[in-house]
Amino acid sequence: MSNYDSSELERLIDGELPWTRVQEIMKDAKDGDRFEQWVAILQQRVPWKEKILLPLTTALFIVQKGKKRIVKCRCGHEFGDYRVNWKLESLIHVLETEDQLREVYRGREQPDPSWIQIREYTCPGCGTQLEVEAVPRGCPPDFELLPDLDTFYRDWLGRPLPDEVEFADKTLEAVRNWRSESR
Amino acid sequence: MSPKSRLIARRKATSKPGRSQRARATRGLADGTLKEQLERNDRLLRETGHLFGLEKMRRKESDPGTYEAIWQILLNICNTGHVVGCRVSSSPIAAEGGDALWSLHLPTGEAICTSRGIVSHPGLLSLLLRSYIESGYEEDPGFSPGDIFENNDPHFGGIHSADFQTTVPIFYRGKLIAWTGSVTHVMDAGFVLPGSIGFMNPDCFSDGVPVVAERIGQNDRFHPWYEKRMRSRTRVPDWTMGDARGRLAGCLTIRDRLIALVEKYGLEFFEDVAREYIEDSRRYAVSRVRTQATPGRIRKSNFKDLAMKGKRVLLPQQNVDCLFNLPLEITIDREAKVAISLRGASGWVPFGENITPSALVSGMLNAYSHVVGFDMFNWGAVAAWSLDEPPPGSWANPYPVNYFAASGVAWAPAVVWMSSLYEAFGRSYWSRGFVEEVAAGGATTMTAEFSGTNQYGIYTAGLTLEQASNGGPARGIADGETSAWCLYTPNADFGNAEVTELYYPILYLGRNIEPDSGGYGRFRGGLGHTAVWLVKNTAGIEYQCGCAGIRSKVCGNHGMFGAYPTWPDRPSYASGTNVKELVDARQPLVHERGDPEQPDLVKNIRADVVEWNVIAPFVTPGDLHEWDVIVHPVSGSQALGDPIERDPESVRRELDDGWARERIASDVHGVVAHFDAKAKRWVVDGAATAKKRDAIREKRKQRGIPFRDWWKQEREKILARENMADAVLAMWRSSMALSPDYANELRAFWKLPDDFTF
Repeated sequence: MSNYDSSELERLIDGELPWTRVQEIMKDAKDGDRFEQWVAILQQRVPWKEKILLPLTTALFIVQKGKKRIVKCRCGHEFGDYRVNWKLESLIHVLETEDQLREVYRGREQPDPSWIQIREYTCPGCGTQLEVEAVPRGCPPDFELLPDLDTFYRDWLGRPLPDEVEFADKTLEAVRNWRSESR
Repeated sequence: MSPKSRLIARRKATSKPGRSQRARATRGLADGTLKEQLERNDRLLRETGHLFGLEKMRRKESDPGTYEAIWQILLNICNTGHVVGCRVSSSPIAAEGGDALWSLHLPTGEAICTSRGIVSHPGLLSLLLRSYIESGYEEDPGFSPGDIFENNDPHFGGIHSADFQTTVPIFYRGKLIAWTGSVTHVMDAGFVLPGSIGFMNPDCFSDGVPVVAERIGQNDRFHPWYEKRMRSRTRVPDWTMGDARGRLAGCLTIRDRLIALVEKYGLEFFEDVAREYIEDSRRYAVSRVRTQATPGRIRKSNFKDLAMKGKRVLLPQQNVDCLFNLPLEITIDREAKVAISLRGASGWVPFGENITPSALVSGMLNAYSHVVGFDMFNWGAVAAWSLDEPPPGSWANPYPVNYFAASGVAWAPAVVWMSSLYEAFGRSYWSRGFVEEVAAGGATTMTAEFSGTNQYGIYTAGLTLEQASNGGPARGIADGETSAWCLYTPNADFGNAEVTELYYPILYLGRNIEPDSGGYGRFRGGLGHTAVWLVKNTAGIEYQCGCAGIRSKVCGNHGMFGAYPTWPDRPSYASGTNVKELVDARQPLVHERGDPEQPDLVKNIRADVVEWNVIAPFVTPGDLHEWDVIVHPVSGSQALGDPIERDPESVRRELDDGWARERIASDVHGVVAHFDAKAKRWVVDGAATAKKRDAIREKRKQRGIPFRDWWKQEREKILARENMADAVLAMWRSSMALSPDYANELRAFWKLPDDFTF
């Protein structure tokens, strides 16, 4: 099994390693402590103290905040329980007309807005574009990654997290409390 | 092995046994019938969790060197079959594009080892051989040395009928010890329209010449009626039969070389390691998930259009626009077992774009070979995951509702669906820190086929391999490779332009990297390319811009980590042109696409018909003629990350190279740059770029609205079906009808009435 020092992993993460070296790393047996090193590197780079439990994207992390596990942006903005799709707490802007789509797609490059809308999800804290969806009207937002954190830490890493929580998608529970002014 | 002993081995292998000998041969004394062996294999996997009950890898543990060496020899044998087969075939698809595969299987069907080529096929061949056994073929017609079996019927294990699956049993000293198989994609499958990309087929009766899981030859020779059928029911039978002979030649090559290997290392050793290689592959796939992914659930929506309303179609019911719902849900459990679901898939379509669950399993093996289990590539990875039965009546499982659904290019929706698998596993790998293994979504597959009189004055019909060299997905740490990747084969190859010109009456005016075609993100996907063809030396030729997995109305849902997806596939053509006059006058022609709103085709050419922004797929309304022009783009792959985090130096370099455009650099990447005419290079203003990017972030915060407020507005628009195309409404209706729990979740999310449908 391979081992890489932290500085080489940082260069890998930042895309600074020569491609030949990246290929060697891709071909070698994977390093067993990658996750620990990965989290340690990222933890040093964020301006807050909560412990990172799992990185979700380039900007979002699941962190331990007190007894809660929440989604947090690298800027510090918090999105709430990781079992609720974080998009529900984001800012959204939708490109759904030809004029709006022209900001990105023009002429033959433009999709048909009666078939699809481009949803931009933004962090309210720092303005990072966190995800983009290209879906037809009616499609609920994708809840891309819902990790089973307790199984991961307890059974795969061998170091259980305190205060186990139910592994469940809580998004619909959150929506249930919203007022829809329904007909 | 000396030539003499090779001859003896071959004679032993192919000598035809009598009836009683045949029964013993196919059964073996200790192994039982093949059907019994299959049942035992299934039971052992259930009971032990290991394929063939191999809790210990005896051969690997006792002699790892020989174990690895034999694997390499088997790989070499299969690849030799590929080389021989493609050379014998001589069809452009096999010889020039390598769209073919040869493989080696256990007597019960499980693929042991495969050649290079189209990696979706070993799974199909495995399931086909299994179906022979389950259908009682062991008794009738029986398996004998020298037999040749073949299938291309999706009802019985095929994917689409242009892919012919040939299998040959391998006997050693009277015992069936293995199968060898091959699949090639023929130039013309005898569809209702010429060619091999049968998206237009309305039902299975138009799906071409059927070879229905049958014995097509004995004693290493085709039956004469097999060739008669190919000659009367395919349009380019020399190529079709060339492919058949190529498949057989490759299979016989593999058979003879395997027998030589068994002679050298012993049958027992071969039988042991063959099973261990398959179990090894299963273990690798499970281990990779366990050590590099995370348990939990991954979801990814995706959609694909097939807009045919108002176009040239075959039957009235095809005058319709379709949108496919291609949902992917992956669950990874405590044991690292992966469960895959297509809950929510939309209904079957009246076109050749329906696929069977068994073909989908094989497609999954293809995708898995790219992103999860690719060490010893064989059947083993299939035991590392399970695929829930797709909704009966959906595009992914049509037969329970419509047994006559067409599958002319069944791959089309599946390949677009599989693109989600890259992103899904990419997200999981990212969370564990294996950034070098992350891949955003894949590219699409828009084909070009020609049919008509070629430059030699004879009829031709066939496919270019232009689409077999897409851009590759963005990585977690770098841009994707440009024009060097293909989802359906690890051996991307669009063939030589000069050779393509020999096959068809066309000349290349251009073959260019398409700027900005890899989506917009911190890392872009690999770029696609555009071919520009001039029709030349023909009395008339039809251009089929085919769908083997494209999107033309919509984008892929692949905004990974904040990137914008690649644009839709839009080809162009012009007929009745003034190109000859332009050539004579030495005026500019068309060598690339140019501006998306003012393309070169419009700017540089006058023509009776100029279609510069066509919704694909389509067949030209009439023949194209001398001096007509086709602009055929091949897509790039998907991007990753916020586009304003792209390295300004990367943007500058690609502006210099013509791989990026100023408007996208400025508006989408927030890079302020100008062209220094004196130095002949682009220059980035770093301070202005930083300021512009800050302004973009601020603008996003200002104009973005809280999701909950948008949800309320959007809900009203959904209830009013506002600005929703008929195809979108029809898709939602069928998805909700076929998957009631999916429908309930959709209604619950938008708080729609319990009986709401679109």
